[in-house]
Formats: sequence, C-alpha cells, structure tokens
Amino acid sequence: MQLPRYELKAEKSLMVFEFLSEGPKGKIPKLIKFSETNLKGVYNLAFGDKNQDTGEINDLAVSNNGDSEKVLATVVATVLAFTDKYPTAMVYATGSTQARTRLYQMGITKYLLEIQKDYVVFGQKDNIWHPFKKSVNYEAFLAYRKKH
Amino acid sequence: MNIKELNKKKLPIVRIDNSLEKYKNAPIFQDKVNKANEMLRTVGLPKFSAK
Repeated sequence: MQLPRYELKAEKSLMVFEFLSEGPKGKIPKLIKFSETNLKGVYNLAFGDKNQDTGEINDLAVSNNGDSEKVLATVVATVLAFTDKYPTAMVYATGSTQARTRLYQMGITKYLLEIQKDYVVFGQKDNIWHPFKKSVNYEAFLAYRKKH
Repeated sequence: MNIKELNKKKLPIVRIDNSLEKYKNAPIFQDKVNKANEMLRTVGLPKFSAK
C-alpha cells in the first residue's frame, strides 16, 4: 500500500526532514526532527510548522490545510527512512496536545496491519507500555523495526 | 529498478538539502525531548518479548 505523501528533503544524517504541506491555506513548510534521548538508541520524533520568514518552528500550530492524512503519511515515511538508516533505533512519539496524540493514534490504528508487517508498536498508558491495540487511548507511542 | 518497482517501494525518496544541517544541533522541540526523557526515566522501555 502506498499512501499519497509529500516529497521529502533531509540533511545527510536523515535526522532532520522538511516537506511542504499544500492546501487551501497555501504552502506550509513542516519540519521533522529525530532527537536523541537520554536512552541510547531511543529517538524522539517531533514535528511542527516552520515560519517562512523567521525560520522558527512551532509544534503547536494548527494549520488546517486539509491534508492531515497526507501529512501523517509523510511523517510515517520519515520513520521508514530514518529506521532504514538506523535499523536498531527506537522511535518515541507523543503529540504536543491531547488532540494531536489522538490524531497519531488514529493514524496508527488505521494502518496498524500494514505497520505491523515491519514494526513492533507499543502504546503507553498509565505509565506502562502495552503492545499497541486498537480502541485504547494511549499517551505516547514507541516503535522499532522488526528484524527480518 | 524501473518506475513500477520504484513506486512499490515503501521507502520514500529523500533529497539531501544541506540547508537543514542548521537544525540538527539546534534546540528545537527541546521541551518535547525533555518530556520524553522524563517519561523514559520513570516508565522505562517496554519489554521486548512482543514480536
């Protein structure tokens, strides 16, 4: 399955990506960054809008550009690219707001079978990690690539 | 690899843009990284028996 997604740019270590969201509000640059955490091999995934004038990043912006599925598919594509380069990496993600975490949850739920072909996915709830299940509301997510 | 094979590939095509280097060590999304560190410190990692 190949979902529509935006073209990606990245610096050479594939830890920072950028793409252009296109919709009724115009072209909005989005930046994605995989940051090292204090736990070796675990990377925090974050993304937000880039202000074209100042270059500042806002991860609370709600752009309402009518392309949230395509944006999510593009973010997922960066996880594919990142874990292809760093196959033992674990990716941690949570939304900037509860609403955004729910959006991530819906995205994972929708494509869970497809995702689980290549990744092990966990959801964190009440300070415990659980294998990801549909219809459970999680506070954060962790995924890593299966060894084939 | 032909176009058909390329389209089937899950991996995205990524164009390298050196102008993004400046964000690599910039403290963007630092609050989220701090929150992730705090959560990982208290909750730890999942058990990896799941496949």
